[in-house]
Amino acid sequence: MVAAIELKDLTKTYHLGDEVLNALDGVDCTIASGEFVAITGPSGSGKSTLANIIGGLDKPSSGTVLIEGTDLSHVHDRQLSDYRNKHIGFVFQSFNLQGTQTALENVMLPLVFSRMKPKARKARAQECLEAVGLGDRLKHKPSQLSGGQRQRVAIARALAVKPSIILADEPTGNLDSARGEEIMKLLKDLNKQGITLIVITHDMSIARQADRVIQIKDGKVGRA
Amino acid sequence: MRPGDYITIAFRNIRRQKLRSALTVFAVVIGATSVTIMLAAVFSLKGFMTKQFEANGTFQQVAVSPQTDITWDDHNNGDNNCPTCVHLTDDLAAKIGTLQHVVGVARQTQVGQFQALQYGSQKLRTQQIISYDANGVIKDTLLAGRDIAASDTDGVLTISSDYADKLGFKHNYSALVGKQVQLIAQGWYNGVGVDAIQQFKAQMTWSSTHPGQDGRDYQPAPVSLSAKIVGITDATDQNYVIRVPLAWAHGMEETQMAQITQADQDAAQAKCRNQRTPGNCNSQPVPSHVVVTDELAKQGYSSFIVKTDESTNAAGVAKTIRNTYKVGAADAQTQIKQQLGIFNILGAVLGGIGGIALVVAAVGVVNTMIMSILERTREIGVMRAVGARRGTVSALFTFEAALLGFFGGVIGLLIGYGAVLIANPIINKQLSGNNISGSNIITLPIWLILGVVALTTGIGILAGLYPARRAAHLDPVEALHYE
Repeated sequence: MVAAIELKDLTKTYHLGDEVLNALDGVDCTIASGEFVAITGPSGSGKSTLANIIGGLDKPSSGTVLIEGTDLSHVHDRQLSDYRNKHIGFVFQSFNLQGTQTALENVMLPLVFSRMKPKARKARAQECLEAVGLGDRLKHKPSQLSGGQRQRVAIARALAVKPSIILADEPTGNLDSARGEEIMKLLKDLNKQGITLIVITHDMSIARQADRVIQIKDGKVGRA
Repeated sequence: MRPGDYITIAFRNIRRQKLRSALTVFAVVIGATSVTIMLAAVFSLKGFMTKQFEANGTFQQVAVSPQTDITWDDHNNGDNNCPTCVHLTDDLAAKIGTLQHVVGVARQTQVGQFQALQYGSQKLRTQQIISYDANGVIKDTLLAGRDIAASDTDGVLTISSDYADKLGFKHNYSALVGKQVQLIAQGWYNGVGVDAIQQFKAQMTWSSTHPGQDGRDYQPAPVSLSAKIVGITDATDQNYVIRVPLAWAHGMEETQMAQITQADQDAAQAKCRNQRTPGNCNSQPVPSHVVVTDELAKQGYSSFIVKTDESTNAAGVAKTIRNTYKVGAADAQTQIKQQLGIFNILGAVLGGIGGIALVVAAVGVVNTMIMSILERTREIGVMRAVGARRGTVSALFTFEAALLGFFGGVIGLLIGYGAVLIANPIINKQLSGNNISGSNIITLPIWLILGVVALTTGIGILAGLYPARRAAHLDPVEALHYE
């Protein structure tokens, strides 16, 4: 398989006053294109930092981040933003939907930044909402949707730009187990369609569903 | 992001916090309204006054004043001799009349001897009696009758309408035309209309009946000159003014001196010789000769008004007159421009007050935007996560602030326009009440409209810069987890 993500000797250091915190301490790992990987570890282990760096929201202190051959560790905000827009779909534990806007408008947001024409935007967003089973909830606001439905909207938003990678940070954390299962099924279906799926979780029942588990402990990759 | 998206998103965010946005815009509105009204009023009034002067032909005129010297010279003390003084004589007027671009010169003077104007039994105090060449250089606005003509020599005058009002001819000025009035001089008047020899004799008689008083308390009898009112002038041009023909003014200003000649003295002595008791002769010599001095021709006129062919030549003519003849010469344009400069200062001061209001409004915009960004931190995080660049976020918030400024400017202009609509009829009433032509004089010039909107929008942009920068530099990871 082609490597989608290659991380080499990645470190991330935070300075909290005099204290130096090594959130990531020499991480090496490769994730193949189309793979479903779970990143696990206790809280404070550095798994979120790793996910943020892969997602282009954060930059490493040293090391290289190769995403489909492009080094992200030294690019400017413009390229990093464009990378997030074109290649990454984020799914958050707390959904992060805009409460004042409809499901359709929420899904359209990434397309606004990719300068898609308004008509095409609407069509694509509708398509994505239908794909997650919310074709009849286009005009609903998040407050009018259940938790599971909200996360589906978030997944539809992640799908909108046809990303090569979906990064889900505790996607089932705020849902009951039945809804959680549905969301995992949806994500796995997307993975089967060829999208690289990275799920950050501390829930082993979810981690077990992955092709591979990367365990992070004290900023280092441990053995699964 | 597409330009349309900036507009859509900015509008949506402004709508989201309706009250807060409205209050912020309100502050901008106050500033914009005051700037609009103040600048419109000041510049419209300035333009109106300039137009008035242009209509009067004042800009074509140059006012010439005599060169005086206040240096006291002991050698010349008590004498009128002032070697550096230049009088405005007929000769000088003729010379100025031949200068290039000069189309006419009006010699002008004031007559100071007459204290009262009498019509029938009514007596009014004279304020100023003026006289100038009837050659069209100085124009009068006539409400009835005719103006003083070049052919008039004496016995006619015009009075301003306020005199006519006082005499009971309000709204009926033409009834006063052709009426006889008296100009009355009290005290030592010895111009035209006085028999100097009779006056001399009267004083002598008084002295003989008041021995030891040396003639000091002698009061000559009042002199009155009869005149026909030929015209009523508009008092709004000049109030309480009486105009007489220039030839008559010469007469009024002249001095008549009764002179005792040798022949008069011989006659007196001969009279004594013929008396029976020589040595006790009190026959005083009686003057038979009067010396008349045209003081106006000698001392010069109080001013000349010079009319030039074009208003643009007035300043040049004034300079030539100053340099060539060493007299004072001022063109109205230069003077009025200086006076109208007050309007520029006024505009700057009043505009400045509006400016302060706008600065305060700008602080309001900054505050609103910072609040808005704090509330929308998570939203900004999401926007960044799904691909918004820093520049995009920055532009979005700057645009939102600019929009607040823009709305403030537009609403301020509308209110300012409303104020103009209210003010103009009031000013019209004032103007027509004072017989000044002109209506709806306050206007909103296009430069002011565009300027105010550009100013408030610019202020919005400036006020938005810092909050927008703050929004753009939020750490997306932290923003996504902001509570």
